[in-house]
Amino acid sequence: MIESPPRAEETLPACLPDVGCITCGDEGIEMRALKVDAGSGLAVCVDPGGSTSEVDLGIVTGIAPGDALLVHAGVALARLEAEAVAR
Amino acid sequence: MRFVDEYRDAELGQVLAGEILATVEPGRHYKIMEVCGGHTHSIYKYGIDDLLPANVELVHGPGCPVCVIPMGRVDDGIALAREPSVILTCFGDMMRIPGSDGSFLDAKAEGADIRMVYSPLDALRIARENPDREVVFYAIGFETTAPSTALTLKRAKAEGIRNFSCMCSHVTIVPPLRALLDSPDLRLDGFIGPGHVSTVVGARPFEFIPASYDKPVVVAGFEPLDVLQSIHMILRQLVEDRCEVENQYARVVPYDGNVQALKVLSEVFELRPHFEWRGLGFISQSALRLSDAYADFDAEQRFAVPGVRVADPKACQCGEVLKGVIKPWECKVFGTACTPERPIGTCMVSPEGACAAYYNYGRFAREREVV
Repeated sequence: MIESPPRAEETLPACLPDVGCITCGDEGIEMRALKVDAGSGLAVCVDPGGSTSEVDLGIVTGIAPGDALLVHAGVALARLEAEAVAR
Repeated sequence: MRFVDEYRDAELGQVLAGEILATVEPGRHYKIMEVCGGHTHSIYKYGIDDLLPANVELVHGPGCPVCVIPMGRVDDGIALAREPSVILTCFGDMMRIPGSDGSFLDAKAEGADIRMVYSPLDALRIARENPDREVVFYAIGFETTAPSTALTLKRAKAEGIRNFSCMCSHVTIVPPLRALLDSPDLRLDGFIGPGHVSTVVGARPFEFIPASYDKPVVVAGFEPLDVLQSIHMILRQLVEDRCEVENQYARVVPYDGNVQALKVLSEVFELRPHFEWRGLGFISQSALRLSDAYADFDAEQRFAVPGVRVADPKACQCGEVLKGVIKPWECKVFGTACTPERPIGTCMVSPEGACAAYYNYGRFAREREVV
């Protein structure tokens, strides 16, 4: 399993007006894969603010380091592709 | 930032606003519901209603899974958390939701071991680190979030982690939409469809709306240009007398959904016969519970959960707000007895709830109008 810094859950943002929430805001964060462990199906990803976390790749395929992902609640929902954005 | 900046371009926003103005027919009123709380938040945060003509009205729908959790389910979670052996884990979204005798935050202040997590994977890590405790993940959310819970449960089963379980309050998007559409007091012209839910279920499940109710649906992204373009697409359908499902968020939403995610969901979950939605009452087959294959991980089977039904506070009109029958500021207690600091109804708790979003952003625009 890939080692990633554990999250300090007590320091996570609470439900604040300018922060948004995971489920009620149907949050999707763009993250970039740094390391991918095909064996465990997990990747270490970095968000736009520079924080890293472990992301489950269980419902996406063919992810490689450098890929941009749409992440919700620790799961990659989709790979973001520049060509699709251009369309 | 890539994939975001392109959708926040102010000049393009003005162009889209001009196209919307050129599309609408004078004398005709358009009422469009955004289903998802994330869209509600974007609309208020970016002032999207200010860019729309006066005859285009946005109505805020039931798409905030925190707002629809009934008080009895909150009480059940608190009862679990008060078990001395239990560590209750949940998203931050749930912490301030009022139950009949306080919130998770209140229970935590009184000594219950309740911990916020960003992902169910974090809850599983807590279970690994605390083998002498029972770690319960209080799972909420629509189909966007359910795969995260499902994948974590699969991982727990594969690793043989016995001190991890889930209290499942995941809900599904189509049944409440059908219930809303069947409501006699609802008057809507079209729907902005939920974006991230659709990355999992696809756009196809919404085809019943144009087919059976003659309303257009446009599945939309969450950036301001996404929302504006979706409104324009709905208005064009209405003006051109078309009625179909369109996918504005095609950059991440496959029309038929994520096949792998749907497979995982069907393996780990099954539909509940019925589930109570705050303000909307019981809706058939509108929520998920763990399948028989995962019964050992079902907190409702592992622990004695009270399961008592608690009526919504009488003063609260969340149900009418969720159905779009009244606007947040038309509720009797909005901004007086019910504020984000001291919420009575769940629509005021979550920032994506229609009342809190309006309180935090929209009321300023309304105050300008009144002045």
